[in-house]
Amino acid sequence: MDKFSKLKALLLSLLLLTQTFAAAQSSQPAIRFEEIGVKAGVRVQHHTRTFHGKNADVLHMFTSGGAAVAVGDYDNDGFEDIFITDSDAGKPNHLFHNNGDLTFTDVAVKAGVAGGNDPLSVVSDALWFDYDNDGKLDLLIARFGTPILYHNEGNGKFKDVTATSGLNKFGNSIAVIAFDYDNDGYLDLLFGNYFKPVNLLDLKDPHVLPNDLDNATNGGGVTLWHNTGKGTFEEVTQKAGLANVTGWVLDVGHGDLNNDGLQDIYIACDYGTDHVFLNNGNGTFREITEKATGWDTKKGMNVDIADYDNDGWLDIYVTNITDEYMKECNMLWHNNADGTFTDISRETGTCDTGWGWAAKFADLDNDGWQDLFVVNGLRSAGPESYVPLILPVITTPGLDITDPGNWPSIGNRTWSGYQKKRLFRNLANGTFKEISAEAGVDNQFDGRGIGVIDLDNDGKLDLVQTNADQPLLLFHNISEHTGNWIELKLIGTKSNRDAIGARVKVTAGGLTQIREVDGGNGYAGESTRRIHFGLGSANTINHLEIRWPSGRVESVSVPLNHVSYIEEGHGVVQR
Amino acid sequence: MIRTLSYSLFAFLFVCLLCSPTRAADSDYQQAMKALGSNDFVNALHYFESAITDDPDNLMYSSEYRQVAIKSKDFDRSVSFFEKLATTKPQSANVHLNFGFAYVDKIPVAGSITQVILANKALTEFTKAVELEPNWINLYTRGMSYLFWPKIFNRAPMGVADLEKAMKIQVAGPKKNYYVKTYLALGDGYWKTDQLEKARAVWQEGLKQFPDNQQLKARVDHQGDDLQKIIEANLDPNKRVDTDLRELWTSSQN
Repeated sequence: MDKFSKLKALLLSLLLLTQTFAAAQSSQPAIRFEEIGVKAGVRVQHHTRTFHGKNADVLHMFTSGGAAVAVGDYDNDGFEDIFITDSDAGKPNHLFHNNGDLTFTDVAVKAGVAGGNDPLSVVSDALWFDYDNDGKLDLLIARFGTPILYHNEGNGKFKDVTATSGLNKFGNSIAVIAFDYDNDGYLDLLFGNYFKPVNLLDLKDPHVLPNDLDNATNGGGVTLWHNTGKGTFEEVTQKAGLANVTGWVLDVGHGDLNNDGLQDIYIACDYGTDHVFLNNGNGTFREITEKATGWDTKKGMNVDIADYDNDGWLDIYVTNITDEYMKECNMLWHNNADGTFTDISRETGTCDTGWGWAAKFADLDNDGWQDLFVVNGLRSAGPESYVPLILPVITTPGLDITDPGNWPSIGNRTWSGYQKKRLFRNLANGTFKEISAEAGVDNQFDGRGIGVIDLDNDGKLDLVQTNADQPLLLFHNISEHTGNWIELKLIGTKSNRDAIGARVKVTAGGLTQIREVDGGNGYAGESTRRIHFGLGSANTINHLEIRWPSGRVESVSVPLNHVSYIEEGHGVVQR
Repeated sequence: MIRTLSYSLFAFLFVCLLCSPTRAADSDYQQAMKALGSNDFVNALHYFESAITDDPDNLMYSSEYRQVAIKSKDFDRSVSFFEKLATTKPQSANVHLNFGFAYVDKIPVAGSITQVILANKALTEFTKAVELEPNWINLYTRGMSYLFWPKIFNRAPMGVADLEKAMKIQVAGPKKNYYVKTYLALGDGYWKTDQLEKARAVWQEGLKQFPDNQQLKARVDHQGDDLQKIIEANLDPNKRVDTDLRELWTSSQN
């Protein structure tokens, strides 16, 4: 072999080596997380309420949904804080103040927001929202009971203003979102209620469980509360046209589903059909379920709304139950842009997530395509399964299934437990790939809520996972080679201050994406109020347009890889 | 003479009485088919019901009636009809068999929990049919029905027991095309009860008997997760099970 041939061979080998290395690199998972709960000081345990009397454990199981997370920067220091609920009697909630260095300090007691788990009330969900537009996030605690509204006093302390707020109606609420349904500039509240409004801790009549496991009609429905703008709320469920929902609501979600500038709603019901309502723009809604999705009989657990395929129309993801003994499949409702939706969960690979709970869309690798994290699992306990014991309950003719006394005791049995969480990477071609193991999020806790948060303002979205009767998990996004990004904190002036319902459209790198500021979509989890866009390799933004809830449309310019604050009518402002 | 005439008249009337339901049934059946030919499902169902009421053991009438109920999505009507018939004809195995199938026909359009309830009700009727007449179709049907139950309910071993009996019946008689179903089902039952070798042996034997059967070939050719997918796809409660029994009277011997 002559010198030239040797050099050629060497170069060829180098080329091959480089190609192999590049191929290996490109096949590396783009999304990686490190669980930092202990290190961050947030590793707290949730406790479901303990019931007493016959078949107390059946009620315990039916109420095991209250492990919730709410993300919000309550002290406006530029770092997002985390509120975590507990549910057992006397157990405190947690307000984790973000110290800005990936550690947190629990200030719930000092701030005055630890309470709520009274002997006759169970904390089930939480929501940050600025109900009085004073620029400070207030806190709503949803309960099996009456809710609690805390006003943010601005000095690290909160004041319980429930008594004067008008929010005095008992409900077994499991979900709550805030949005301005009538665009009057004040945030209204939509509660999803699971059981009918009877106090489970002081039962006079034991017939409280679903009257049908596929088409139950004896649930709590929804309650809509209009914000008067004077620090009070008034119930408008009937007036708004939502009183006919009598199902076992587990989650509610909002978004502009038909691109008319108004916020529409999707209601996910356990044991029966979900509901889709369009906003008429006059303070009322009209149901379009039959045409939009058809009537389902599944066990709806979660609503998240996002444009996963970047076609300019918001899609809806609903988790259901898929297990060896029940093959429901989730629903990814693709928006057909004509008032109808098509379930494409099978086609997209997002059908089976076990006993699903929360699911959240988020662009975790900043490639411009929203990925999907789903938590699951009902009850992980002993080696025996509860499922065979339920069969006689279901199949015995005439057995009154509404009475917990007719359900067998669960004891230490497992029911759809030890399920691995699912993380679906959006492949940008209409399908997803399950990557939870590579990403480091395939834990087997009994997940309930998800909060998407940027813990350290690095533009890579992190995840909070709450678990029923198990510890909290905090996943720090340590993905490498992620794309460029922008985060926008929108501040309404004519619109509600939180800008909930605002839509942002960004065109960059040949891709147009939309996001809306949401007021708590997703089961048991309110995510960051900031709008986050991954931009991939795009170095410039061609166009960024904001459509505020007030109807105002404005274009702004923001720097890449920064968190920007934008005030309605004033463009980019200093924090 | 008069006595002879009386006897003759009595005999004639007796024969007429015996024949008339079948004749009436046949007439109704023809009307049903005519209505069906013009997609008049309402009248088709009506005439089929008359035909079956007159001749409740007639598998063909009942099977075709249920297929019309499926087409017209009138599942509750079919269930209700056979429910009434089963109370008036409790000793008819074929009525119980079709009553069970009426429940099965409704399963794909039902919610996940209702599917369990319907499957359980179907199983009750199939059991009555087996108890009255433990023939091939009743044993195969109940055996197959057990296999649809998720493993956690441990009903597959009972399915295997029924299917083994069905297999014994079929190997003792002349070969029918539809007997291939037992090879498939029994193999699936063995697979579901973790008896893979026995499963493979049954599928291979089936393939010897029915060498062109693609479903048997697929089972023999696949292993592990791929095999699991094939079998589970076959036992998916959300997919419609073919409950049309026409093979029973149209199948030729091989």
